[in-house]
Amino acid sequence: MATTRRTEVNDGPVNEPDFYQVSKGIKSWLTTLDHKRIGLMYLFAIMGSLIIGGVFALLVRTELFFPGKTIVDQNTYNKFFTLHGAVMVFLVIIPGIPAALGNIIMPIQLGAPDVAFPKLNLMSFYFWVAGALLLVGAVPFGGLDTGWTLYTPYSLKSETPVLVATSGVFLLGFSSIFTGVNFLVTIHKFRPQGMGWFQMPLNIWAIYATAIMQVLATPVLGITVLLLSVERFAHIGIFDPTLGGDPVLFQHFFWFYSHPAVYIMIIPAMGVISEILSTFSRKPIFGYRFIAYSSVSLALLSFLVWGHHMFVSGQSRLANMVFSALTFSVGIPAAIKVFNWVATLYKGDIRLKTPMLYALGFLLIFTIGGLTGLFLGILSVDVHLHDTYFVVAHFHYVMMGSTLVAFLAAMHHWWPKFTGKMYGEAVARACSIGVFFGFNLTFLPQFVMGSRGMPRRYWDYDPMYTTFHQVSTIGAFVLGISMFISIVNLLVSFKTGRRAPRNPWGGSSLEWQAPTPPPLYNFENPPVLHEIYNYDDLVEVEEDRWERRAPIEVKATEAPGDAHAHAKPADPVPPPPADIADKAVARAEKAADEATSAVVKATEEVKAAETAAKAAEEAKAAEAPKAVEAPAEKADEKKEGDK
Amino acid sequence: MSEQPHAAHDDHGDHGHGDVNPFVQHHYDDAKHQFDSGKFGIWLFLAQEVLFFSALFVAYILYRSHHPEIYAYAHKYLDTKMGAINTAVLIFSSLTAAWAVRAAQLRQQKLLLACLATTIACACTFLVVKYFEYTHKVHEHILFGTKFDPCVSSNDTPLATKLNLCPGTKTTIESREIVDDQKAHVLQVTGGCFPNVAIDADTTTPGVQANCKVYEVRGKLKKDKDAGGKEIFTLVETPGSRKDVTNRCRDPWNEGLAEEGVETVEIDGKKEEPEKFPCWKPSFQPAVCKTGWFFPWTCEGGKCERSTGGEGPFDSLAECSSKRNDAESKLKGLGKATVGECARGGASAILVDYNDKEERESPTLEEEGVKIVTDCTGATSVGAPDYFKATPPAPLAVGKKTTSSRRDLTEHEKHEKEHNLLYSGPPPEHTSMFFTIYFAMTGLHGIHVLIGIFVFIWLLIRATKGHFTPDYFGPIDFAALYWHIVDLIWIFLFPLLYLIH
Repeated sequence: MATTRRTEVNDGPVNEPDFYQVSKGIKSWLTTLDHKRIGLMYLFAIMGSLIIGGVFALLVRTELFFPGKTIVDQNTYNKFFTLHGAVMVFLVIIPGIPAALGNIIMPIQLGAPDVAFPKLNLMSFYFWVAGALLLVGAVPFGGLDTGWTLYTPYSLKSETPVLVATSGVFLLGFSSIFTGVNFLVTIHKFRPQGMGWFQMPLNIWAIYATAIMQVLATPVLGITVLLLSVERFAHIGIFDPTLGGDPVLFQHFFWFYSHPAVYIMIIPAMGVISEILSTFSRKPIFGYRFIAYSSVSLALLSFLVWGHHMFVSGQSRLANMVFSALTFSVGIPAAIKVFNWVATLYKGDIRLKTPMLYALGFLLIFTIGGLTGLFLGILSVDVHLHDTYFVVAHFHYVMMGSTLVAFLAAMHHWWPKFTGKMYGEAVARACSIGVFFGFNLTFLPQFVMGSRGMPRRYWDYDPMYTTFHQVSTIGAFVLGISMFISIVNLLVSFKTGRRAPRNPWGGSSLEWQAPTPPPLYNFENPPVLHEIYNYDDLVEVEEDRWERRAPIEVKATEAPGDAHAHAKPADPVPPPPADIADKAVARAEKAADEATSAVVKATEEVKAAETAAKAAEEAKAAEAPKAVEAPAEKADEKKEGDK
Repeated sequence: MSEQPHAAHDDHGDHGHGDVNPFVQHHYDDAKHQFDSGKFGIWLFLAQEVLFFSALFVAYILYRSHHPEIYAYAHKYLDTKMGAINTAVLIFSSLTAAWAVRAAQLRQQKLLLACLATTIACACTFLVVKYFEYTHKVHEHILFGTKFDPCVSSNDTPLATKLNLCPGTKTTIESREIVDDQKAHVLQVTGGCFPNVAIDADTTTPGVQANCKVYEVRGKLKKDKDAGGKEIFTLVETPGSRKDVTNRCRDPWNEGLAEEGVETVEIDGKKEEPEKFPCWKPSFQPAVCKTGWFFPWTCEGGKCERSTGGEGPFDSLAECSSKRNDAESKLKGLGKATVGECARGGASAILVDYNDKEERESPTLEEEGVKIVTDCTGATSVGAPDYFKATPPAPLAVGKKTTSSRRDLTEHEKHEKEHNLLYSGPPPEHTSMFFTIYFAMTGLHGIHVLIGIFVFIWLLIRATKGHFTPDYFGPIDFAALYWHIVDLIWIFLFPLLYLIH
C-alpha cells in the first residue's frame, strides 16, 4: 500500500450511505455480515442482559436489607444471586467490551474494512444469543441455584435446571472462542501497511491480549461444562465422588478458565481507559510499550494463578505457596498500568468530559480492587477472608466497578462515532458521578463486613451487620438508577441528539477519520496514518469538533501520480455510476497489463473527480468542508462493492 | 448494494470478475490475503482444540497417577487389534488429506476427488470399527459410572454382576424389600455369607453387588406370629445402635480368602478349591466370612429347599458345625438330604467383614440380636432397586446344578491367568473411572471424526464443481489441518488407553 500521505480529510462530505442506511429491514440486520451491525446487536442484547442481571442484583440487595426474610425465602434468594452472577459474568462483562464494543470499534481503529471472518462473526453472535436464551431460560424452568461457579458435587445434585444452563454456557464459550479467533486474525492480518505492532492503539493491544485468553482458556470451560452436563445426564462419574470422581478437579478446570476470564473482563477495560485518558489529557500515553507489554503479560500470567481461588479446597501446601507467589506477580503489570495512566494525566490538558469522568472513576476503583486482591493472595489472610463479603467486594471492584465503568466510559466515548449522535452531556456527567458514588457506597461497606466475618451467599445474617447491609443496599439503588438513566440518556440521543462530527473528542486513532456513522466498509478513503497518540495537530475548531490542521508530511515513497481510481464525484447522493465504473474497469484491466498507462489514466480520473467534488462543494452550502482529496493509491479498480 | 468504494484493503477483491477468483471475499486484498488469514485462523482453532481436549488428558493423568491399578486392569478390556486398525486407518487418511491439498495445488482434479473420497471412506471405516468396539462394551456392561457392571473380568473370566443383566451369571440372594417412611428402600439381607461368586459363573452361587450402605443393627428380638400363626421373630432396633459397616472389607489385592486349614469349599456336595479372591471395594464390596457358614434349608409343607443365602457367620468353626448338625438332624427327621459342611472363606457382595466384630451374634432366639441392614437410598441410581426386582433363581434340587460350570480355558488363557491372576478377579475399586475417561475421550474424538466427514463431503461436492484451483485451495488445506489434529489426538489416545503395561 502506498505510504504517500498528504493532508487528512477530516470532515469531508460523505458520499456513501452509512451502515444504518445501506440496507433496511430486520432481515438485513439479522443476516448482516457487517461488524458494526453485529456489534450493535451484541450491544443491545448485552444491555438487555445488564438490565436482567441488574434487577437480580437489586433483588438480592433488597432481600439483605434486614436480617432474616425481607422479600423472599432462602431458596429464591439462592436463585437470585446465581442468576445475577451467571448473567452478569457470562452475558454482560465477558462479551461487553470485546464482543460488542470490540466488534464495533476495533476494525475501524485498525483501518480495516471488516473483521477477518464476517460469517464466523455472525455465527458467534447467534451462538451468544442461543447461549443467552438457554442461560436466561433457566428462569422459567425454576431458576438455577448453584451459584455462577456451578461447583460440583452440588451442581450434580441440584434439582434446578443445571443442564439447561450448562448448555448455555457451552455455547457462550464457543461464541467467545470464535470472536477471539476472529479478532486475532484481524489484528494480525488486517493492519494497514505502516501500522506496526507498536503503532497500534492500546485498545487493540488490549483486545489482542483478551483474544489470546479467549482462544486458549475458554475451551477448557467448554469441556468442563460439557463433562458436567454429561455427568448430570448419564452419571459418568468424573466429578461425582460417590462414583470415584473428583469434585475438586472441577474447580481446577473451572478456574483454569475463569481466572483468565476475569482478565478477559478487565483487560479490554484497561485498553479503553488507556485510549480515553490519553485523548482527554491531550497528551501521548505515558509508557506506551509498557502498557502494551503489560496487557500481554497479564494475559499470560492469568493462566498461572487459577489455584488462588482454591486455597481452602485442599490443595497441597506447595501448590498454595506457588499460586500465592504467582498471584503477587500479577500486581506488577497491573501496577505498571496504573502508574502509566497517572503519569499520562500529569501536566495534561485534562478535559472532564463524560468518558474522562468515568475513566478517572475507573482509576480509583481499579486501584482499590487491585490492592485488595493482594490481601486475598496472602495465604493466611485468605483463610480468614475466603468466601466472605471481602471477596465479594474485591471482585465487584474489579469486575463490576472497573469493567462496567470502563464499559460505560467506552460507550460514551464511541457512541457519537457509531450512532452519529451526541448524547446529553450534562445528564451523562451527572450519571457518571452517581455511578461512582453509588458503587463505592455499595461495596466499601462490604469490605468492612467481610473482614468482620460476614460470609457470602448467606440469606440471613447477624444483626451486627445490618447497618452495613443497609448502606450497601442504598448504594446499589443509587448505582442501579444512575446506570439506568445513563443508558436511557444514550438511547434517547438516537432520536434527539444533535449530529455528531467525525472527531468530537480530538482522538488521534483511525476511527476518528471514518465518517460518522461509518459507511459499510468503514472508510471512504484509506485512512491516513499519523503518529499514534500525537495530538499536536488536532485543533478544536468549535465545541466537540476537532480537526487536524497541520497534517504531518510523510515522505512519499511512490510516484505522486498514482491514484485511487475509485474516487467519485462528491455528490452527496451519487447517481449510479455505472458507465464511469465500467470505463474504470476497462481501464483498470489495461492497467494490469501496462502499469504506467494505467497510472496516467487513473490520475486523470482523480483529477476529474476532484474537479467535480469542488464544483459540488461550491454549489453546496457554506458549511461544506474541504474537498475530497483522493489519497494516492494503487491503480486497481473495483467493479462492484457487494453482491 | 451499489458499487462501494472500499477502504484500504479491498482494492483487489473483484467479485465474480474475470480471472480473479470468485471465492475471494471482498474485504480481503487478494487471494493470498484470504488464504493467509484463513490459515492463521485455522491454526488458532487448532490451538483451541488442543486445549479443549487438554482437560481430558489432565483427568487421565490425574486418575492414572492416583489409581495405576485401575488402568493396569481395565486396559485389558480394550481390543488392541481394533485400536491398531483404527490408528493405521487414520494415519492413512491423513496422508490422503494432505495429498488432496497437493492435488488441488497442481490442478489434478481426478486425484483430488480420489483423495477426498478416500479420506471420507477412511473416516467412515474408523467410525464403523468404533461402533463395534462400543457395542461390545455396551453388551458386556463395560461402561462408565453406575453403568459399569462387567459380565467378565478383563481377561474374560465371567463375573457376578450387580444388575443381573449378563446371561449365565444371574446371581441373587434372598432378601425382602421394606418400604420405610423415610427411605425408599431398606433391604434386609437374610444371610450374611455367601460363597465366592466372583470367578464363578455358576448360577447356584448367589451374591449381591449393590452400592449400598450397610449397617449393623442391634436390637431386641420380638416374638410374633404371622398371618398363618407361624412364629416369627422381628428385630426391634435399639436406638443409636446402628453402626456403619460399609467398606469393612479387606483390601489386599491377592490375599486369598482361603483360611489355613481349609482345603476345600463344599458346594452342592462337590468339593472345590476355594479360589483366590481379591477384595472388591466400594461398588462391589464382598464380605469375608472366616468363621464358617453353611446353607440352611427351609421346609414348608414337608418340602424342603436349600436356601440361596448362606447362614452365618458364626463365632467359630465349632459353633458353625454344631448349628449345622442341628439343622441336619432336623432335616434328617424329615427324611431329606444332608446339609453341606461348614465352609470358610467365600464372599458376599454386601461388604460386611465379620472378622472385625467383637460382640456380634447372629440373630437367634436369644434376646439380643444383630442384623445387617442395607440402605440403598444413596444407590438407587446404581441399580440396587433393579437388582432386587430381579427374579431369584428357582431353588435347586439337591446335588444338581442349573448350568454347566465355567468354560474351559485354553492353554494360552491358563498361562495368562497364572501370570495375571489380577485380571481374572473382579475389577478394582473405581474401575468405572477408566471407562468414564475412555468414553469421554474417544467419544469426543469420534464426534470430531464425524464433523470431519461432513467437512470432507462438503469439500468433495465443491471439488466436483471444480471450485478448487491452484489459486484457491484454502478450504482443503484448512480441512486437512483439522484432520491432522484429529489424527494426532487419536495417535495419543491409542497408546494411552490401549497399550498400558
